[in-house]
Amino acid sequence: MAAAMAWLRRGARGAARRCGLAAGRSYSGGGAYPSVSLTCPLPGVPKAVFAAAEGRERFETRVTVLENGLRVASQNKFGQFCTVGILVNSGSRHEAKYLSGISHFLEKLAFSHQELPLQQLGLLSLALCPVPDEEIEMTRTAIRFELEDLNMRPDPEPLLTEMIHAAAFRDNTVGLNRFCPVENTDKIDRDVLHSYLRSYYTPDRMVLAGVGIEHEQLVECARKYLLGVEPVWGTGQSRGVDRSVAQYTGGIVKVEKDMSDVSLGPTPIPELTHIMIGLESCSFLEDDFIPFAVLNMMMGGGGSFSAGGPGKGMFTRLYLNVLNRHHWMYNATSYHHSYEDTGLLCIHASADPKQVREMVEIITREFILMAGAVGEVELERAKTQLKSMLMMNLESRPVIFEDVGRQVLATNTRKLPHELCALIGQVKPTDIKRVVTKMLHKKPAVAALGDLTDLPSYEHIQAALSSKDGRLPRLYRLFR
Amino acid sequence: MAARSVCRAGSAAGRALLWGPRPSAALLTLTRKRGAATYAQTLQNIPETEVTTLENGLRVASEESRQPTCTVGVWIEAGSRYENAKNNGAGFFVEHLAFKGTKKRPGSAFEKEVESLGAHLNGYTSREHTAFYIKALSKDMPKVVELLADAVQNCALEDSQIEKERGVILRELKEMDSNLMDVTFDYLHATAFQGTPLAHTVEGTTENIKRLTRADLASYVDTHFKAPRMVLAAAGGISHKELVDAAKQHFSGVPVAYKEDAVPILPRCRFTGSEIRARDDGLPLAHIALAVEGPGWADPDNVVLNVANAIIGRYDRTFGGGKNQSSRLATLAVEHNLCHSFQTFNTSYSDTGLFGFHFVSDPLSIDDMMFCAQGEWMRLCTSTTESEVTRAKNYLRNAMVAQLDGTTRVCENIASHLLNYGRRIPLEEWDARISAVDARMVRDVCSKYIYDKCPAIAAVGPIEQLLDYNRLRSAMYWIRL
Repeated sequence: MAAAMAWLRRGARGAARRCGLAAGRSYSGGGAYPSVSLTCPLPGVPKAVFAAAEGRERFETRVTVLENGLRVASQNKFGQFCTVGILVNSGSRHEAKYLSGISHFLEKLAFSHQELPLQQLGLLSLALCPVPDEEIEMTRTAIRFELEDLNMRPDPEPLLTEMIHAAAFRDNTVGLNRFCPVENTDKIDRDVLHSYLRSYYTPDRMVLAGVGIEHEQLVECARKYLLGVEPVWGTGQSRGVDRSVAQYTGGIVKVEKDMSDVSLGPTPIPELTHIMIGLESCSFLEDDFIPFAVLNMMMGGGGSFSAGGPGKGMFTRLYLNVLNRHHWMYNATSYHHSYEDTGLLCIHASADPKQVREMVEIITREFILMAGAVGEVELERAKTQLKSMLMMNLESRPVIFEDVGRQVLATNTRKLPHELCALIGQVKPTDIKRVVTKMLHKKPAVAALGDLTDLPSYEHIQAALSSKDGRLPRLYRLFR
Repeated sequence: MAARSVCRAGSAAGRALLWGPRPSAALLTLTRKRGAATYAQTLQNIPETEVTTLENGLRVASEESRQPTCTVGVWIEAGSRYENAKNNGAGFFVEHLAFKGTKKRPGSAFEKEVESLGAHLNGYTSREHTAFYIKALSKDMPKVVELLADAVQNCALEDSQIEKERGVILRELKEMDSNLMDVTFDYLHATAFQGTPLAHTVEGTTENIKRLTRADLASYVDTHFKAPRMVLAAAGGISHKELVDAAKQHFSGVPVAYKEDAVPILPRCRFTGSEIRARDDGLPLAHIALAVEGPGWADPDNVVLNVANAIIGRYDRTFGGGKNQSSRLATLAVEHNLCHSFQTFNTSYSDTGLFGFHFVSDPLSIDDMMFCAQGEWMRLCTSTTESEVTRAKNYLRNAMVAQLDGTTRVCENIASHLLNYGRRIPLEEWDARISAVDARMVRDVCSKYIYDKCPAIAAVGPIEQLLDYNRLRSAMYWIRL
């Protein structure tokens, strides 16, 4: 007991010798710098007067529209700092008439442009100062590095996401390349950028969003800096804004790649073939978005050897039915991408190249089973997990900022988190069945990466997804 | 697990002070910097951290912020530093088993309960700390405290689970071998603190993992999971009083006494200037880390060293910005294409630490990059300017505040402060300490730790161009008239 008490004393670090002058190395050289150990309060700092959050956090998003069409939205939040930024309704989906990769370029440029002191937003400085040539060259280099990095990584996630979008929305809107293709890095120059900016970076396509900041203050700043300011690319003739609605086509994109030696370190990573099978879901503005989100949570999944404690979905369908039963599968994860006018629900799976056929069949069967019976316990768990994840993500200011900006950009208002939680709570098994049945009628989108010799044909996959049990059509081979 | 990288750097508090958030094009975080008075006011605009100590010595600390979610966790002063060569890896093993069944909730019942609450459970082990924490909705706090108490006190350590986890850990060790940055830092510790417990890796050796038995793990838990060494921390929408009540109910049983009164004492870990080279010309890039001995947690020199690190900055070639980097070393790196990335670190332990930098480069730029980096160190020791110190101080203040975004970060911050400093250091005090730093102080403190000291060096990959140790040692001082 005495020894434990000694530990307590030591642990509390109340020992007098630790306070005051620092023990340890003595130093000659003068210099009056503070030598008060961090375990003791610094003398001379006034005693803190702490604030207490009053009442429940009132989630209140306020939106004001300025005369030039710019929307200013703010969300109050208790705390010491704020996140402010501008969201522009522009992205790779609008690049149909332009060189693919402009948005990627702009993303790099906006941040590197540091003519003005860092307090200003990068985009603001881009608007007010002409961009010198060497900066464009630097951006080209940075993009090339990023593309190189992407290809070197053993994790194929970003590549597969690009591929599945290209397959699902062939040659239009969200199917266009998010990353600048290597060939285009040299073709993009200041004129191309300015012509794009003139059409898409107009005030009515922008939202200035702030979290943790007073609404009036934000509106005042917006009026001062963003109203009546002429951007450097001029407000002249714009080529017209691409308002195309995303068109889901379905299809297949295959990339044969040698994945036998992708490890960056000395330990080899086993060779894997990755496939992603997706179907059209719905946009985040529709009512069916919530059942799709719950469905995605219910499917869950992940890597078969992933680290991390409970809470990552160990009782979701892809774990229970797929990964726990077939130990040769390395990975089975479900994703849901949702945009203003369309959405994509897809499952990513990876395994040894020789087992691609079984892997595809397991995934198609899971899709068909989605339309079957949904257990009560399973559904409740998925709903609770979705609500939890929503609230936990919204702890972070940058996430709130993006949520506010995205919603205001699309609908001019914001659905508050507790409203979303209420909607999640109302999802029933019949809702799941309804959205899945609707989804299964569409053509599938398939992306495949790696050694594809045993990959079933697209027609077979399509047949499996329209069949009753999800099995691939039987292959009759003379020689096995 | 992103948390794994935390354990390499020692603790979240240290990490918070040296790495700011990675800039993203779409988002920029601003502090309201319209005047010193306003900033000081915003620092005070935070809730208080309340600390209560239970009878058995366990500390309960929380910060209430009226949010719908919360993070609650147990932080224990136990880690690989408390292990010896024979049981190195036991702590990591125990962390793996903590959620795989307790006496009250056998098998997968524990995991199922957490999943049904919609909660996320996580844990990590570092050289001096072990942590288990749960993110959940605030209304579930009492249940969460009970689950944590169950995991920490009643871990079943079932034989079948042990065998299963053995395989999982061995596989994880293999995967970690391909994360060259972690490998480099492990080598750095192995050489800098050779012959002492700090040289051990957190995960242990392959032979140990294959050999550890239930008895070893049980004895580790028995020896180290004691109440005075634990902190129950929480942040989010929970009231301190309710938390303390829940803790009294579930944590009062945590043992205090040691068997035969044998309190484990932490021996002093000496630092040895030395190097370790793992040359492999088959790898595409070289990873090099160089460090000198740094101060322990409680030393006030840490603040100045963190300012020094902020002056050197960090860089990755995928950052946009080209030559307009705020750090001199980064500008040099871009102009002469010296490296793919570099970062600085100040890892602290209770009585010692590692202060240095790490970079990744092509095989033929190692010499130039090392020359520039060590040159930057010498410049810091002799001719730091006020303007760069001011910029670094602002960056540090911003990073410090921005790190506290989200209940999990706040919770971790509370717990590590209590374990390292014995108290939660309020933001104004940090601000005052940072503000007191000036160029002269940076020069003095840097000279104290860097100038003419023997460094520890770890290098992995195609490192033929890395010069001999004597050359690198001689770059740690200037011959001046």
